[in-house]
Amino acid sequence: MIEIKFILNKKHVSAKIESNIRLIDLLRDKFNLTGTKEGCGVGECGACTVLMNGRAVNSCLVLAAQADESDIVTIEGISNGDVLNPLQKNFLSHGAVQCGFCTPGMVLSASALLDQNPNPSEEEIKESIAGNLCRCTGYKQIIDAVKETAKELNQK
Amino acid sequence: MMPSLEIITPKNLNDALNLLSSKEKDIHIIAGGTDVVPGLNQESNRFKDIRLLIDINRIAEVKGIKTDKEKISIGAAETFSDVLQNETIEKKFPLLWKAVSTIGSVQIRNRATIAGNFVNNAPCADTVPVLLVYNATIEIESQSSKREIGLNDFLSAPYKTKLNADEIVTRINIPIPSNEFAGDFYKLGRRRAVAISRITLALLMKSNDRIIDEIRIASGAVTPIGTRFFDLEKFAKGKKADDEFMKELSGKLGEQIIQVTGLRWSSEYKLPVVQQMFYQLLKGIER
Ligand code: FES
Ligand code: FES
Repeated sequence: MIEIKFILNKKHVSAKIESNIRLIDLLRDKFNLTGTKEGCGVGECGACTVLMNGRAVNSCLVLAAQADESDIVTIEGISNGDVLNPLQKNFLSHGAVQCGFCTPGMVLSASALLDQNPNPSEEEIKESIAGNLCRCTGYKQIIDAVKETAKELNQK
Repeated sequence: MMPSLEIITPKNLNDALNLLSSKEKDIHIIAGGTDVVPGLNQESNRFKDIRLLIDINRIAEVKGIKTDKEKISIGAAETFSDVLQNETIEKKFPLLWKAVSTIGSVQIRNRATIAGNFVNNAPCADTVPVLLVYNATIEIESQSSKREIGLNDFLSAPYKTKLNADEIVTRINIPIPSNEFAGDFYKLGRRRAVAISRITLALLMKSNDRIIDEIRIASGAVTPIGTRFFDLEKFAKGKKADDEFMKELSGKLGEQIIQVTGLRWSSEYKLPVVQQMFYQLLKGIER
């Protein structure tokens, strides 16, 4: 057992963990943050995407121990209480959420993109979610939702 | 389920090297973890004996990208995203930049590291052919020694390198090529993102009035390990890079690849692709 301390959705937390669990296991099993999904478990689908120090990472490829002293944001931490994040709102209004399994990962990938690049081209949007698979939407609605969010953010 | 193991995150290189020299065998270095973590989780044979992981992410000696007039020095644990954000790499090593930008996905590039790509010497490591044409060398340290060898010598056989069990790759050094070099990188994969490469080619060339002054050619994925074609490079030196010669050189590259691979079942479809792509690369940079 080792003890790790990190920031999870803006709160300081600590956990006693086995060295061999992954970040996704820590989030889902110890912190009950089940918005983070496991699809493939090998880095191909992006359903497990979270933000680690502001960057999108696959939580199935990170050991929980490696999250020590880091800043982690999951889909549960992206809204402002009951007020949806603009990405979440636009995903809903554009029909970008169907079965919803890919959605948490998609939203976090898009959020990392907009943080770094508030005015992305369509190509840049596609590149940012290239590691997130969606079986339902055909991606168009997702890309539109991200575009709309960027537009709104730039108007403010 | 993962095997039970221990993980240690040393704060400096010396501590890591101490650990490596004290025990052996069952230790494995981890940086990004994009290979090790799913491997462990799927109980892959490659990792089944590991009992201790050494996470090198907090070691300053293996981090950072430093540039001077002659070379760039990339810390072994720098991620692909760090590499893409470096301006010198974008300007002076466009092939490396291009190869890295085609790797995995944003999420993978945010974790996977430059040294992690070749320390396993998997044939599909995308940066290898590019690092080979740039004449990259790697710095290796153990408790008792420090050495620097060419990447070409480091990669010995598929999934084998010259790295000893008590050593760590600390940095990758690449001499900055003169501005007269032009080149390109080509990759064929199955899906655009996350694909495992089927064919990779890297080409760097310096010519004067179409006479080839120096040419460097390397392949990956299609050969058992990343390979430089030194014979072919010698053959091409001093020749005029006209259309006829480009075709001849592309044909010869195909022959050489058959020689090193001893023909694999998939070569039949790959070979014409390799030859055609190499021809296109040559044409592209001669323009
Ligand atoms: S579950 Fe992590 S990438 Fe698919
Ligand atoms: S909405 Fe079902 S996988 Fe994307």
